[in-house]
Amino acid sequence: MSGGGSRDLGAAAATPEPAVGFHAQLHGASLWDLVQMECLARARLVVEVTGEGGVGHLYFDAGRVVHASTARNRGTAAAFEILGWTHGTYQASNRSWPSAAPTIEMSHESLLLHAAKHRDEQGGSNLVAFPSRGIDASVDAAIEDLEILEIDQDEPGQGGTLTMRNPNADDTPIPPAPPRAENPADFPVMMRLSSSGAVLRNRGGSEELAEATAYTHRLVQLTGELLGLEEFVSLECAFTNERFIVFTEGDGDIVALRPRPDLNLQTLRERLGL
Amino acid sequence: MTAASELLTSLGTLKDVTGILGSFVVTDDGRLVAREIPPMFDDTALAEAGGRLTRLRDTFAAVGDRLDVAVVRFRDHKLYLKTIGTGMLCIVAEGAVNMPALRMAANLVGRRIVPALERAAQEPAPPAVIAPAPVAARAPAQAPPGMRRFRGRAVE
Repeated sequence: MSGGGSRDLGAAAATPEPAVGFHAQLHGASLWDLVQMECLARARLVVEVTGEGGVGHLYFDAGRVVHASTARNRGTAAAFEILGWTHGTYQASNRSWPSAAPTIEMSHESLLLHAAKHRDEQGGSNLVAFPSRGIDASVDAAIEDLEILEIDQDEPGQGGTLTMRNPNADDTPIPPAPPRAENPADFPVMMRLSSSGAVLRNRGGSEELAEATAYTHRLVQLTGELLGLEEFVSLECAFTNERFIVFTEGDGDIVALRPRPDLNLQTLRERLGL
Repeated sequence: MTAASELLTSLGTLKDVTGILGSFVVTDDGRLVAREIPPMFDDTALAEAGGRLTRLRDTFAAVGDRLDVAVVRFRDHKLYLKTIGTGMLCIVAEGAVNMPALRMAANLVGRRIVPALERAAQEPAPPAVIAPAPVAARAPAQAPPGMRRFRGRAVE
């Protein structure tokens, strides 16, 4: 899907026929679906999106959106602007790549999560086929809470001190999140571990639980390798009165959540393939 | 009816659920006591996996959680684990398996095999309990869709 064809998102578009490959017209497809398809294809290309807000460009590389630009914004802000458009056309572009470093660092999953939040907060419509909202708004918020925090251990002069920073701070005008007092109650325990087991973020979990999470993650990885089941995605454990969910994110971080016992997890399960 | 045949009969009924590829049972100490799963999963791999899965249960027990059920999602498959009596029922399924049906089948089978599992766990000779893999197992088996590696090696 990363060839030179065009994808009509609802509006008629006159595009030249490609010399080779398929020319696709996907009426009714959502822009987010197309973004995910390009990322899954790990394509390196620039796509021109024409929507109700004008023209924008998305730069894909190695399974991520690494840059975006519109007339008003660039970087993550531009990506959010483009992903907020609900109809238009989508086609490969010969636009040159920026010489500067990538302006978008997050995974495409995180980008879409943040774009959803951004759009929800702006009161936009929810036309795309993206699982969420309803009971999962708190799940989204909880995961986002974990996603926007990075730990930078290489700051000179910090002497190994952990400093948290927001990776979107440079160019992303993410509005302040609305009060989400219900989230800690929905997920009394939320932890983020690096792939090496370092605790990057911990709310409500004990050190022993972090160790158990890291070990469990390794055990299921090994079990999958032994049985030829490939790549671990997620784990849900049901205990006598509790549940516990562990999943791996695109960047390799391990996220563990202990939901409130009576919280409906169906949408989260669907999202994690459970 | 021996404990082994009872276990095998019960495990066989799990395949009524579309998407279930097979199942096996391990004791609390990780010993494989029954299997009803294609021969491409050899006994050694299942025994090693069983040991790790019981350690997973023990890991949570160490932090005060008594594991009842676990669902592990891999890219194209699921592994469903259910603690039963003196062991664990492990079910390998496709990713798109009907989960409510799987859960119900696992509950029924789990209840049914408790006595046989207790007997099997007390038997000292596991090779007599484990169903022998057919000779065809030695030939390269057709991997289920999406299953490209087996014990770390590529499946041709």
